[in-house]
Amino acid sequence: MFPSVIKTCIQTLFIVFLSQIVNGQDRKISYSFNPGCNACTEENNTLVYTKAEGSHDTIHQIWDFTAGAPTVILTVAGVNSTLNITWDGTVPRKFVFSETPKYSFAIAVDKLYEYDDLTDMGFIDERSPRRAVPLRRVAWRLTHDVRTDDEVMILMRGQLHEKTRTGTIDVKLDLLPFKDYAVELPHLIHTANSTLMDVSLVNLTKSPDFNASRFALRVILASVDASNDTMHYAVRKSLDDEHTPGVFEIIEIKSPASFADGDGGFLQFRPVAYTTPQRGVTTSTIVRVSPFNRTRIPEGSTLETFYWRADNSKLLVQDMLVSFGETGDGYYEKHNFTAWSFTVGYGAPPIEGFSVFVIAIICCGLGAPVALAASGAAYALLRRRRAAPPRTRFVDDE
Amino acid sequence: MENPESSGDTRSGQLSPTSWCHPANKFHRFIALMFMCFLCFGSYFCYDTPGALADNFKDDAHLNTSQFALLYSIYSWPNVILCFIGGYLIDRYFGVRLGTVIYMTIVFIGAVVFAVGAYINAFWLMILGRFIFGIGGESLQVAVNNYVVLWFKGKELNMVFGLQLSFSRFGSTVNFWVMEPVYHWVGNYFGGYERLGAALFLASLTCLFSLICGLLLGWMDYRAEKILNRQEEAANKEPFHLKDVLHFKSIFWMVSVICVAYYLAIFPFIALGKLFFERKFDFIPQDANNVNSMVYFLSAALSPFFGILIDKTGRNVTWVIVSIVTTIGAHFMLAFTFFNPYIGVITLGISYSLLASGLWPLVAMIVPENQLGTAYGICQAVQNLGLATVIILAGMIVDKYGYLMLEMFFLGCLFVSLIAAVIIYIMDATSNGVLNLSPSVRDALKDEPNQIDETAHLLDHEDNTDHEETDSRPNDELQQSLTQRDVAQVQSDRIRSRYLSQILPNTNIPDRQ
Repeated sequence: MFPSVIKTCIQTLFIVFLSQIVNGQDRKISYSFNPGCNACTEENNTLVYTKAEGSHDTIHQIWDFTAGAPTVILTVAGVNSTLNITWDGTVPRKFVFSETPKYSFAIAVDKLYEYDDLTDMGFIDERSPRRAVPLRRVAWRLTHDVRTDDEVMILMRGQLHEKTRTGTIDVKLDLLPFKDYAVELPHLIHTANSTLMDVSLVNLTKSPDFNASRFALRVILASVDASNDTMHYAVRKSLDDEHTPGVFEIIEIKSPASFADGDGGFLQFRPVAYTTPQRGVTTSTIVRVSPFNRTRIPEGSTLETFYWRADNSKLLVQDMLVSFGETGDGYYEKHNFTAWSFTVGYGAPPIEGFSVFVIAIICCGLGAPVALAASGAAYALLRRRRAAPPRTRFVDDE
Repeated sequence: MENPESSGDTRSGQLSPTSWCHPANKFHRFIALMFMCFLCFGSYFCYDTPGALADNFKDDAHLNTSQFALLYSIYSWPNVILCFIGGYLIDRYFGVRLGTVIYMTIVFIGAVVFAVGAYINAFWLMILGRFIFGIGGESLQVAVNNYVVLWFKGKELNMVFGLQLSFSRFGSTVNFWVMEPVYHWVGNYFGGYERLGAALFLASLTCLFSLICGLLLGWMDYRAEKILNRQEEAANKEPFHLKDVLHFKSIFWMVSVICVAYYLAIFPFIALGKLFFERKFDFIPQDANNVNSMVYFLSAALSPFFGILIDKTGRNVTWVIVSIVTTIGAHFMLAFTFFNPYIGVITLGISYSLLASGLWPLVAMIVPENQLGTAYGICQAVQNLGLATVIILAGMIVDKYGYLMLEMFFLGCLFVSLIAAVIIYIMDATSNGVLNLSPSVRDALKDEPNQIDETAHLLDHEDNTDHEETDSRPNDELQQSLTQRDVAQVQSDRIRSRYLSQILPNTNIPDRQ
């Protein structure tokens, strides 16, 4: 009885393990830094081009910091498609694909807002007094990178240099060719179809006339969908908070194409940010997203260069404000740090599954008592049957 | 310890026993009972204040879940040992009146130190406060049980025990109901961790109130002793004998496994539950506390009925298995669905009371009477040890792996207790035991001439020889040994009741002859 239960458990685990491997290694990634740019120095003008080749299509990604605002552009095209970039000095001028792309989705973190949270709600609304810090003026520097066949990662540091404001914005971009959980909290799911973007706001000076200073990011979402359509925002509840302890919500923003048939772009994140570099449950704070706003692609941005040929009626551009903090947390100045992660990708957003450990506990936990009860009952019956006759005989003898 | 009634004929007071001021009067004893109920109210109230303010401990004092869990764990540490000597100290040195006041003072000091720790945001001081609180907390229950025995023995003892314990659980429930509004009100005057400290100060006032009840009860008891000429029996024999442990049957150890593993899925859950309900089910803090209090509330309300149910139907092991299975179902529901958590928690509360009613009488059937004190002492010690270690572990699980894993851990504990229960069932069935019989069959067995009592064949041989020796002694010696046995049994009863008081909201001590 016992061995069969254990065997079932092991089989289940093996199948789960196997399916994870099979699902995982689905694309082959390659990368190049500033492809075709002769004047660029990798450190100061960073445009990373990655290509994830799958069996049916190829996802081209451009991570761009050359125009200030951190930008990620995903483009899906045929398996053998290629991308050629022409440069004007250190500025990309033209993105030319070898074949017409099937789909494209992009995000840009365009502005940083400082707002006075007069009612201590933890989010920006139209009444909040605010100051915008456009990120196009930020100079970015590559501080760390990983370039292997199994991971492409860059860590960019942007310094704010304004009259009244200094501070640092760290942005990490990370691509894996398989499905895995991110190493750092909130342990979002990476896939070969998506990139993890992690933004940290470090030591930003607050305006002296704001008593309740908080920060928010303006994120521009662009996709090649009908311009009168809209992005779809949804909060999904997950049973599983194993990877992000205490957070059961997952926020998913889908482009119309992704919403309709899982064939478009998406953003996925947990509504949680961290207020210290050592991320933990105690230093977590809440992330809130404003409703979408229709907008246009900012002038002079890489998005404009990339989508310049696109038909305006077939380019959906919306923005949203992402604010951090919660009531009574002492505002941004309490910790002078906020870190937020999200993934941006193509297709249907990944769904987290119960870990092998959870399945093992359920399997063995349910199996063992049942097996024990059955074997015990059988044993008791046998014993009673065997024990009964001799006793009677003994009495008879007396 | 004698009861007031039995020494009534030697009383020399000038009060008539019909006056309500007379200690033998029903109304007078009722007033004493009220004080006894409120004696433990403060300590039970304050025990769960961290649980009721869990999110505020996180936000104001910046505790992570492991540190938070340590607040609960530290309470259990002193009690691993104190459960053996707390009662002994009262009997030998303090006496019940002084003992109660001493323990209550310790509890009060602990609660105040804890509040001060929160007020100045010193985690070590909070821990120290909870430790002091733990030293007093469980020993206080012993003292109160002594009072109850002293005043109500031979009268409404079981009912009074039940009432007093329900009332204690009610303290926890009320705590969950009122701490959130108190914290909000304090917010008008304080902010941050000072606000938390101030709220805890107010909570500690319940301990001051209990202390005052203790003093009044002490005075009443002193007066009753003088009026009734009651004599305290000096230096009773402590019924705890460690060597008894060697004679315990393996079936007893299986019961101990259940009493550790099962309760691990209840108490830490309540301690850590508030944030779980807030985060997973989006409950506001007050609602989260209301759900959380359901377990105690239901068990206080339902236990008497389950007690009757078990008395009427017997088959304790089956009931234990049923309640463990429904508890597993409740935790499954909380872990793997988004159903309204009231469903899960109410199921949990019902199963919890059912288990308590079914499990604890088992010990009395397994262990010979003169070893019962030791048996319950051991149960209490291992349970405290389990709680002390596992609550910290549970906190770390929440911090590192989240609430789903915590639920998995609880389920793991429940599976262990289910296995233990199934093993008990098998062991009992294979040895033709009485544990799972219906009351009528048990009675029939008892009436058989060959059976000394219902537990006979579960007892060790030594006990049987003990019986025989007693029978062969001359009459007066027999009488004397019987008296000794009576004294030991009273002691045994007390240890048992004081232990039961911690796990049961209501005692269902089976009547034994």
